[in-house]
Amino acid sequence: MKMPDRFADNVFLPEAHLWEGSQGKRFVLSFDLEITARCNNNCRHCYINLPAADKQAQKKEISLSRIKKIIDQAVELGALWCLITGGEPLLRKDFPDIYLYLKKKGLFVSVFTNATLISPKHIELFKKYPPRDVEVTVYGVTKETYQAVTRAPGSFKAFSRGVELLLKNNIPVRFKTTVMRENLKELDKISEFCRARTKDYFRFDPLLHLRFDQNQRKNKEIIAQRLSADQIAFIERSDTQRRKTLEDNCHLFMHPEFEHIKCNHLFHCGTGMLNFVVSFDGFFRLCSSLCHPECIYDLKKGQLAQAWQEFVLKVRDRRSDRDDFLKKCRVCTIRDLCIWCPAHAYLETGRLDSFVDYFCEVAHARAENLKKHMPVS
Amino acid sequence: MAKKAALTSVLKHSEDVVARDIHGEFIIIPITSGVGKADEEIYSLNKFGKAIWNKIDGKKNLKAIAQELALKFEGKQTAIAQDVLGLAEELLSRKMIIKDK
Repeated sequence: MKMPDRFADNVFLPEAHLWEGSQGKRFVLSFDLEITARCNNNCRHCYINLPAADKQAQKKEISLSRIKKIIDQAVELGALWCLITGGEPLLRKDFPDIYLYLKKKGLFVSVFTNATLISPKHIELFKKYPPRDVEVTVYGVTKETYQAVTRAPGSFKAFSRGVELLLKNNIPVRFKTTVMRENLKELDKISEFCRARTKDYFRFDPLLHLRFDQNQRKNKEIIAQRLSADQIAFIERSDTQRRKTLEDNCHLFMHPEFEHIKCNHLFHCGTGMLNFVVSFDGFFRLCSSLCHPECIYDLKKGQLAQAWQEFVLKVRDRRSDRDDFLKKCRVCTIRDLCIWCPAHAYLETGRLDSFVDYFCEVAHARAENLKKHMPVS
Repeated sequence: MAKKAALTSVLKHSEDVVARDIHGEFIIIPITSGVGKADEEIYSLNKFGKAIWNKIDGKKNLKAIAQELALKFEGKQTAIAQDVLGLAEELLSRKMIIKDK
């Protein structure tokens, strides 16, 4: 065998050879570690938050030693990237241990945080062992709006201090926002704030889904914060960047007819294809929102490899013959404009295959926006 | 500018990187700042580069590594030694391997 001219390539992650030939194949690329459901904020729209001092929730959290075992297994399966999320992950005192363990295993690490608990010690850690990014949600750029969402006195000051610490120390931060009734009036200013500071791009999400724990009182609060379909269409039309992205890609979102129309499989998304989620209480999920009891796997009783290699296939093979699914969502030509998926349908209705009026209204309002820009066929 | 290595150099892997074989690709991942660009950049080695990397163990010098590789790969030993030296210098300049004290 002859030696080649070059032995090595310096490549940026998005250009790595790993992606070549990965289309349609299943392999572990990344995973989310949801290390707590607790949060020091009490956001109106949040799908997971439990109080920071909730002893019961804390007791359920997976221990550091179990987390390390899961990380070892994920690395064994080939994971390259891990997202640490919550709740607010910095609430856990062992956050630095978890973070460092991931880094030393050769994983790229991202962190989702509200930034309010960022301390000089976190900065020291991030400077020595850089994250791929720290993603911070901006609920408002004034104390009034921010705290109207978080319902946590002092949170705006803590957020501002945390963001300043991150940026001053050149930690790569990506900013985003969730748009709801409480902060809609400030969206333009929030966008301006984020775009001026984000490491690459800024995104806003106006689609609120319901809680993983199905807490009905809190679900009502989330529903009360949802924008109307017309409001969502309006803000997407008003944001130049979002509008251009949607217009440029409208052929991807709107299909003249849907392929495999006779198939009754529930899952046609990428769930369980390249990544998975570990919940704060040690359950394996195919994606963050898929909480149906028959679609989660208890990692305290089994191995990650078994969950990935066997359990995922069983879940992805689930089917439905209900008209709700087969005659509506399954054959919908604008389903890629819709938040509907089996996971979100379950959170709304308790069934994986049910129709959701609100999702449908939003998708149609978005489609109306785009139809004006569809090429004439 | 590449750091100088010689065939007599004994080198070892830096503790600031992790080498991983992921889905058929052998990559060197920087984990600390100052080694590559730890947030985005990876260093990918082909099977020959991987063979050289795996021989670097803090014990053998580069000449001994080249001799072992000459048994496995075609080519004149002097040419293989130059290749080993070239990659070692590149890895040294990226702080992915270090000189053994």
